[in-house]
Amino acid sequence: MKYLKLIFRNIGRNPLRSSLTSLVTIVLVFVVTMVWSILWLLSIVTTEKSENFQAMVTERWSAPSHMPLSYAEVLGRGAARNPGDVKPLDSMTWQFYIGTLDPENPSSKNMIFAIACDPDKIAALKEGKFATMMDGLESLPDAQEAQVLADVAKLKDTPRGIIVGQNHLKTTNKRIGERFKLTGVSITKGLDLEFEIVAAFPPGRYDTMAAFNREYYNNELDAYPGRHSGQKHPLADRSLNLMVLKVADSAAFTRLASQIENSPELSNPAVRCETMASGLASMLEMFRDLIWAMRWMLAPACLATILLVIANAISISVRERRLELAVLKVLGFRPYQIMVLVLGESLLLGTGAGLASAVLSYGIINWGMGGIPFPIGFFDRFMVPADAFWWGPAIGGLAALLGSFLPAWTARSVKVAEVFSKVA
Amino acid sequence: MFGIWGSGFGVREKMFSAPNPQSRAPNPESRTQMDNITNNDPIVRVHGVHKFFRRGSERLDVLNGVTLEVTEGEFLGLMGPSGSGKTTLLNLIAGLDKPSQGEVRVGDRLISSMSEGELAGWRTRNIGFIFQFYHLLPVLTAYENVELPLLLLSLSAAQRRQQVTTALELVGLSDRVRHRPGQLSGGEQQRVGIARAIVTDPTLIVADEPTGDLDAHSAKEILDLLCELRQTLGKTILLVTHDPRAAERANRLMHLDKGLLVEQTDRE
Repeated sequence: MKYLKLIFRNIGRNPLRSSLTSLVTIVLVFVVTMVWSILWLLSIVTTEKSENFQAMVTERWSAPSHMPLSYAEVLGRGAARNPGDVKPLDSMTWQFYIGTLDPENPSSKNMIFAIACDPDKIAALKEGKFATMMDGLESLPDAQEAQVLADVAKLKDTPRGIIVGQNHLKTTNKRIGERFKLTGVSITKGLDLEFEIVAAFPPGRYDTMAAFNREYYNNELDAYPGRHSGQKHPLADRSLNLMVLKVADSAAFTRLASQIENSPELSNPAVRCETMASGLASMLEMFRDLIWAMRWMLAPACLATILLVIANAISISVRERRLELAVLKVLGFRPYQIMVLVLGESLLLGTGAGLASAVLSYGIINWGMGGIPFPIGFFDRFMVPADAFWWGPAIGGLAALLGSFLPAWTARSVKVAEVFSKVA
Repeated sequence: MFGIWGSGFGVREKMFSAPNPQSRAPNPESRTQMDNITNNDPIVRVHGVHKFFRRGSERLDVLNGVTLEVTEGEFLGLMGPSGSGKTTLLNLIAGLDKPSQGEVRVGDRLISSMSEGELAGWRTRNIGFIFQFYHLLPVLTAYENVELPLLLLSLSAAQRRQQVTTALELVGLSDRVRHRPGQLSGGEQQRVGIARAIVTDPTLIVADEPTGDLDAHSAKEILDLLCELRQTLGKTILLVTHDPRAAERANRLMHLDKGLLVEQTDRE
């Protein structure tokens, strides 16, 4: 504590240099935070869970996957045919719907990606406990769990209701309670749906995704031929995009996967059953090189640059202050104390800049930009997680410590007699 | 000028009666060794000291078998031409460097055999160093510069405040405590340097050309102050100087030439 004032004063000795060093650190930590935010989420979704084990069933040979809706019933019972076959603990159908608010100028700002599903699978109370089939909603705080349950109740009561992601509210400038019409695009072209926003997902994983009643969606698919001279919608017989199944553990999953993949009822088209994590990892496989470069080239390059910038700044500072460091030694400062002073300056600078960068990146990316626009797999945008509040200071502090170690070692080794002989 | 010295012993008492005995003797063992020496005992013993430096393959012999003793309370002046080894000898006595050969004892401690870490701690408690170019830290105020050596001792903030205030009073700078070195004149900066040198109440004060960068008036004030420190507080002072006026203040003067003590003049 006694040295802290001295450390602060030394940082303030050359405000321009300290500011520039901090600025470079802030920018580079910002970049690293963005990269890590993307990798962090991808890592979470592709990591196998030990509980709430989920399996994902998709069409085997085609991407995007399109299965007949009739598969839902077979998959819901795990394609069990014999006594003793494993049955899923729960299941959830996912039917994709993509629509735009502005059919003339469809863009990411007016586009909504939604899933038609059974609202009870989003969240429900089972034996007095909060239960969900949506990955990422299982670990909400109590207050948010209660809110989600209330939102789901509203969705059930509102046939054309929709729960939107936090980003949709910002990018479309809509509010809860508002009604809007989406014009179907891409695979759902020709299916125009009207919605009423009943709620928004809690901030986080589903910021860019919406969910609505599958009954409404399937009714509209059924009604489609009546409005189109008896012609079925292309998705009519293959509107089930994926099915999520919950199983007890990995052993149960292995048996279930075998039942499903070998079921004659699920052979046309054939299906693939994977764990949720490996399913998502398969989807990300096409981005493998990009992710590898981000993880092993971009982030390390930024870290190395921070290290060099700080090392350079502290080296100059130490070289300029050799005489002062020698005076401190004359006064009785021990070599390790000199080293601590130099490392302390660097650590303070790096940690401070890292923290500032974390706050800035969280604010700018999450509130200002509505996430990092990086469409990859299911993910359109990536939010900076709250963990960035420790990443930033940790990156800045660690890079500063490593970068300043050599200059600090030089400082501790200053030979008093040599320094003063040059002065004289 | 030094109005505070009008009550000199009062100030001394104040300084020496700091609430924590550590403020006077942070290391009881080392302090006892220094205090056990009576007034006529040598406090510094330099015996057969050689010092050489290497510059590439060349060997530079700076001290060639210097032997000297300094008694407690003495004001010893060291003179000699440039390159005669004055500063090197001072550095050896202050524990800033080690002899290539020979022994340096201060009090009962053989400092020529102490490690760098031991020497650092020893210097804080026993040596006050005054530089020609003051060498104050520009980012710190006069008060903070004087406080610097006390940060290394186990003193409370109140104890540090008392000792710094007293030291600044002793050098007549109580009204300049919040000023940074850049806002002080050369003479004032040197007085801050002296306050920093005496704030830990060291027995030995070493001064390397303390008036070398000052005008005649300021130089006289600094020399007056050093004499007062010796007479009033009983400090032992080693002064390296080129300035004959500074040398006149010493009660013993030694001349160094080519690394050898060649002449000694007793003034008392």
